[in-house]
Amino acid sequence: MHEVAVAQRIVEALVDTAGRHGGGRVRIARLDLGALTCVDPESLTFAFDVGCRGTCAEGCRLEITRLPLVLRCFACGDEGPRDGPVDPCPRCKAIGGEVRQGRELRLTTLELDEASQAEGVA
Amino acid sequence: MTEVAIQRDVLFDNDAAAAANRARFRAAGTYVLNLMSGPGSGKTTLLERTAERLRGRVRLGVIVGDIQTRRDADRIGRHGVAVHQVNTGGGCHLDARMVAAALDVMDPADFDVLIVENVGNLVCPAEFDLGEHDKAMILSVTEGADKPAKYPLMFHESRLMILGKVDLLPYVDFDPDAAVADARALNPALAVLRLSSKTGEGLDDWADWLLQRMRQFRDGR
Repeated sequence: MHEVAVAQRIVEALVDTAGRHGGGRVRIARLDLGALTCVDPESLTFAFDVGCRGTCAEGCRLEITRLPLVLRCFACGDEGPRDGPVDPCPRCKAIGGEVRQGRELRLTTLELDEASQAEGVA
Repeated sequence: MTEVAIQRDVLFDNDAAAAANRARFRAAGTYVLNLMSGPGSGKTTLLERTAERLRGRVRLGVIVGDIQTRRDADRIGRHGVAVHQVNTGGGCHLDARMVAAALDVMDPADFDVLIVENVGNLVCPAEFDLGEHDKAMILSVTEGADKPAKYPLMFHESRLMILGKVDLLPYVDFDPDAAVADARALNPALAVLRLSSKTGEGLDDWADWLLQRMRQFRDGR
C-alpha cells in the first residue's frame, strides 16, 4: 500500500550509489522482496518507473526476486517454505513458527553504465 | 555495464531515524508505545478513556497520525492531555522521520508515556519502526477473526493485541479463541486483552499493562 514511498527510497538509493560510482546511469536494479512484506510487486514497479523519471535511473529495469516465506516450526524445528504464516508444519502439523525469511525489502545489485557512456546518452 | 553489489535495506534510512528517536526517548526516560489497528477499530476512543484513567498518575502525551483532519487530536485533547496531530497527506502509515518532526513540538522529556496513534491501517504501519519500545494493536470483534491469518505482519510485530468492542460479541460471528490462536501462531509471546471502551471492561487491565511496561522500561534503562 506504501509502494510509492518505497519506490522513492529505492530511487534515492540508486541515485546515491550511481553518484558514488562515477555518475553513470542505472540500467538494472535488483531487489529481494519477501512474501511477508506489505509491498505489491506490480504497484512497486509502476511507482518505480514513475519515480525514476528525470533521474540517472530513468528507464531503469527493476528486477524483483520474490522470496517465499520460510518458517522454523516452534514445535519440531522443521524449517522450510510455507504458503502462509499460519499453515501447519508439514512434518508435525503444529501451527506457528519463527520467520526465517520473508521480511526482506533489500536492494542487492545494480547494473551501471560507465560515466563516459552516460555522457554520450545525456 | 558495471555490476555494483549494494545489499542495502530499502528502509535503511527509516531504521536509522527510528534508532535516533529511540535514543532520544531513552535519554528522556520516556516510554513510547506505537498503537496500530485498522480504521474504525477504536484507537482514538481507547485513548480518550486512557487519558481519563491516567490523569494525575503519569504524564501522558499522544501523537496522532491521520491522512487528513485534526479531529482525533481535538477529541483526545479535550481530556486534558498534550496531543499533537500529524497529517501524512495521503501516506498510509507514520514513519520515523514524521515522528522525529513531531518531537520538535512534543518534547519527550515532558512525558512519562508517549503513545503514537498510527494511521488506521491493518497493513502498512507494521512495516515501519518509529523508535517505539513496544507496538500494540487493536483487533475489534466487528473486523472478523480471520484477520491474523490474512494480515499477519502486524500481529507478528506486536507485543499486545487488544480484542476491542467485546461488548458487541453477542451480535457478531467472531470467535475470540480462533483469533487468538492464529495470532499466537504468528507470535507466541503476544499478550491479549479483552476490552470495551463503551462498557469499561478491560480498561483497568490495559492501564496496568501500560504502566507495567513503563516501569519495566525504566528499570531496564
